[in-house]
Amino acid sequence: MFDPNKSTPKVDHEEKCSGEAKYVADIILNNTLFAKTVRSSIAKGKIVSFSIPELPNGYYVVDHRDVVKENYVKMVFTDWPVFTSERVNYIGEPIMLIVGPDKLVIDEIISQIKITYEEEEGVFDLVNSVAHKSFKKGDFQEASKRAVRTIKETFETGYQEQAYIEPQGMLAYLEEGGKVTLIGSMQCPYYIKNAVINTLGYPEDKVRVIQPAVGGAFGGKEEFPSTTACQLATAVVKIKQPIKMIFEREEDMLVTTKRHPSSITLEAKIDENNKVLGIKAEVGLDAGAYIGLSAVVLSRAMLAVTDAYTIDNLDVSGNVYVTNTVPTGAFRGFGSPQMIFAIEMFMTHLAKDLGVDPFAFRLNHLVKQGDLTSTSGFFRDPIIMKDMIKKAVAMSDYHKKIKEYSKPGVYKGIGMSWFLHGCGFTGDGESTHIKSRVRLVKDEQDIVYLYIAAVDMGQGAKTSLKRVVAMVLDVPNEQVVFDYPDTDFAPDSGPTVASRTMMIVGGLLARAAQKLKDSWQKGQYQEIIEQYKQPDYIEWDESKLQGDAYPSYSWGVNVVEVEVSPITYEVQLKGIWSVYDIGKAIDERMVIGQADGGITQGVAYGYLENMRHEKGKLRQKNLTDYIIPTSMDMPPMETVIMDNPFLYGPYGAKGVGELTFVGGAPAVALAIEDAIKRKVNRIPATPEYIMELINNE
Amino acid sequence: MVKHIIPNNLQEALNTLNAGPCHIMAGGTDLMIQKRNTAGTPPKFMKDVLYIANLEELNYVKKDGKRNCVLIGASSKLEDISHHPDVPNLLKDIIREIGSPGIRHSATLAGNIANASPAGDSLVALYLYDAEVVLSSVNGERVLPISKFITGVRRIDLRTNELIKEIIIPLLPVTKYKWVKVGGRRADSISKVSFAGLYLVNFGLVSDIRFAFGSVSAMVARSVELENSLKNRPIEQIIADLPRILEESNKLIAPIDDQRSNKVYRRKVATNIIESFINGIQ
Amino acid sequence: MNKIKFNLNGQDVSVELDPSLRLLDVLRDHFQLTGTKEGCGEGECGACSVLINGRVVNSCCFPLANANGKKILTIEGLAKTKRYQILKDAFHIEGGSQCGICTPGMIMAAESLLSMNPHPSDEEIRIGLSGNLCRCTGYNMIIKAVQKAAELGAGLW
Repeated sequence: MFDPNKSTPKVDHEEKCSGEAKYVADIILNNTLFAKTVRSSIAKGKIVSFSIPELPNGYYVVDHRDVVKENYVKMVFTDWPVFTSERVNYIGEPIMLIVGPDKLVIDEIISQIKITYEEEEGVFDLVNSVAHKSFKKGDFQEASKRAVRTIKETFETGYQEQAYIEPQGMLAYLEEGGKVTLIGSMQCPYYIKNAVINTLGYPEDKVRVIQPAVGGAFGGKEEFPSTTACQLATAVVKIKQPIKMIFEREEDMLVTTKRHPSSITLEAKIDENNKVLGIKAEVGLDAGAYIGLSAVVLSRAMLAVTDAYTIDNLDVSGNVYVTNTVPTGAFRGFGSPQMIFAIEMFMTHLAKDLGVDPFAFRLNHLVKQGDLTSTSGFFRDPIIMKDMIKKAVAMSDYHKKIKEYSKPGVYKGIGMSWFLHGCGFTGDGESTHIKSRVRLVKDEQDIVYLYIAAVDMGQGAKTSLKRVVAMVLDVPNEQVVFDYPDTDFAPDSGPTVASRTMMIVGGLLARAAQKLKDSWQKGQYQEIIEQYKQPDYIEWDESKLQGDAYPSYSWGVNVVEVEVSPITYEVQLKGIWSVYDIGKAIDERMVIGQADGGITQGVAYGYLENMRHEKGKLRQKNLTDYIIPTSMDMPPMETVIMDNPFLYGPYGAKGVGELTFVGGAPAVALAIEDAIKRKVNRIPATPEYIMELINNE
Repeated sequence: MVKHIIPNNLQEALNTLNAGPCHIMAGGTDLMIQKRNTAGTPPKFMKDVLYIANLEELNYVKKDGKRNCVLIGASSKLEDISHHPDVPNLLKDIIREIGSPGIRHSATLAGNIANASPAGDSLVALYLYDAEVVLSSVNGERVLPISKFITGVRRIDLRTNELIKEIIIPLLPVTKYKWVKVGGRRADSISKVSFAGLYLVNFGLVSDIRFAFGSVSAMVARSVELENSLKNRPIEQIIADLPRILEESNKLIAPIDDQRSNKVYRRKVATNIIESFINGIQ
Repeated sequence: MNKIKFNLNGQDVSVELDPSLRLLDVLRDHFQLTGTKEGCGEGECGACSVLINGRVVNSCCFPLANANGKKILTIEGLAKTKRYQILKDAFHIEGGSQCGICTPGMIMAAESLLSMNPHPSDEEIRIGLSGNLCRCTGYNMIIKAVQKAAELGAGLW
């Protein structure tokens, strides 16, 4: 039960329970046409020729020839085409849309389309680097001279599919005057608007993006919807009728972005006192066919190299590799889950190799307030990790179980992960790229409206941001209104990503609300616009990756207990305990919801969710073969939130959305390692992998 | 244009089948997905479709005391079968791990059998119990043991004018049984490997012992000869014979690599399970 | 054309549509009852859950023909009942809904479970909801919500 003083009534609860909430697939417009994408069936090659049957009246082809201005989807790079014109780079690459009123006729047309390719040998290994980054801290070479021991290991992580229960979809139509309007399942209305403006060459006021109810996203609807939007915008400008494209699960799973598979090599230099003097890290991410956001994911992965530890000397480098596979992209954690899995396993392996107690070894390297971060910035704010670890140990009975489970023949195990997550965009992204703006409007009835682009995709932003404003204004929740973002009314407060929504957008709203409160005029129309200003203390050099990478950090401890069957090698989760420092919980119920959901996804990333490709063809393409947890897979979970208010966050709040994901995989992998007494270097730690580890000694 | 026939009774159904080949649809949980087309459009059926799920005549589970068996009608839903007191516990345990409540409220045992999937969990119990299927047509009835009815991967000995009317499961005295389903997770999963075994002990002798593997060959893998070689022997002897049992079991199975698992894992796990089963006989 | 007759949310209806159509499509497209969702189209996720004669069924693999003579309840129909109010309140108190896409299906599955077992254990609730996938909550708060509903609604089921 949640204390009503600490949790707000969820504004969209009624409509979500009753089925009245309208997700994009539920929105019905007159004269809507359907669209289906024709896609490449080969991983790499050239389209030599193609033939389309004669189209019946009312049916259209839309392809690169119809693209008005720019045939690339505006993301960080310009390599991702709206429709490919000649070269194909992955199985599933969009070539054209067939649009028309009847789905069966569309299917029939598509079945008669013949495409002739000149197939080339696809590249599937991590060999083609398209982005390279590196940074150093201290002097790794010098530290190496003082070391008595060098230990090196490589870690691998696989794909992870967001598997939001609502598949992707979009609806495009023209409003009066030819304004292109898009409604779709999304996280970032302005990413979509800017991409469509770029592709169409339209002015700002001729494109409108509206968010409906969104059924889960987790990063999978961060950048990908921009590609669908550009395709449909191109189509709707040509055909001038509403067009709806809703992916079914299989198509969604095969062609939308997933978490980057990674290969991370860590080398530690250790002195005679079992202190890690330096770490050299090489990070490789598989971007798939197009770069998209991969360079940013690489940054975050690299910056997380020392996780919750302080290591004085670092030599970190990383590469984004393109391969002829589906492009990868944003997914909760955005690069740090891969790295934190690697470093957490590595620290425990180091201790085992040195013959010392892993818990004590790790504690000996635990970060303290005032320490330099991996990029030589500062951990300015208080860090309560020691207390959090103590709490987690007590909640889970960790030390007793570690001892008990170490006995031979016992296949139970317990694992604990310590982790952080940098809140907000890396470095000066907020001030140089996003330049977030919020708008508050008070009408003559003294009702206050929030106009922001933040998307509620289940994390409760609609409710919690309203609450912040209501608390500052000291008015009842009902006096504050926050409707689904519409770019015609809401300024660009930035994308709903990077755990920035409460801390940054909420912070701006709190400041705007304070201004409104201070200048409040009863019965008068008032408008306040508040612009993001980077706190002075943030100094960041993007080219050298040096300085304060993030304005603040959230912290977490996860403990997972498992039992592994020596007969089937299956893993059963027996218990999960978590402690988090997210500054301050604006809404306790929602934070616990994020905690439960995040760790479920994180743990599943570690042991359950398996997706592989064979020469660019994904082998798991539906929810039968790509396995996510059911209610029966999850054990009881206990979570504690500890207060540690952040000066610059609204009411002390920091980021929470991604933190709760990051620790699950290393915790369960360490638990499995503990149960089977073998080192785990790869996730997902499936029963097949566990069998290999146990039998291949 | 395919025709869709919703018969009012069994005779109408049989007459329809006799008039021409049909897809026979019971619950639809397999067929509707196998034949599915784009959302919003009807499935891709090439033959007429006969819907038998609502034939009340075939919706029964009853014990036949004379023949000492339980009879399950073709339109009985899995959920109902799993609650019936006369159905062997092994089969009930298996059904409870099939799919989910939503699936079990719609799916039928007859449908599982007709689907003849190599990963069909219920089939393992049916093979073990020497179950039989009653095939009905306008010409009368045929009764086939399940091991003869299923002839290959998704292949059954069903004539075009026949449907499965009933499943006969002989009841067996059992001291202990074991069911192991190795799926990807704890519900809603397709088996990577499965195993069912049962035995009957009388005065230290194992008078009956049966075991079979699912999901590791085209059809349920069971060797009656191997079982017979163990019957009426003392428990200790059977346990001592483990190496030969493992060798013979390994010859029975032919696991494959697929998107769910690989052959090395499947074989090792199957071996571990039969080893644990034999060592556990008491 | 076959006429399929059934009771939908308390009203008798008769439809002349292809009997092999998925019930899901008939509900959403023909009756415009969009509360029932498509999450996977293959009977895995349960977002398409409806009640057929009181029992939860995945409408994405249920042919219209099989609806003949049945009582069908969608979330729109259940929403008019007192039991729904209890479930809705319990889900709210315990935070059992985040993005909401699985929620109507979860509520249908909960109703099906409670009508057969008014006081289920934690384990029985997990089994009862095992066909409904949720990606947001990790299930714990949903399980607690169903427990709460059983508590608050004592006597209703």
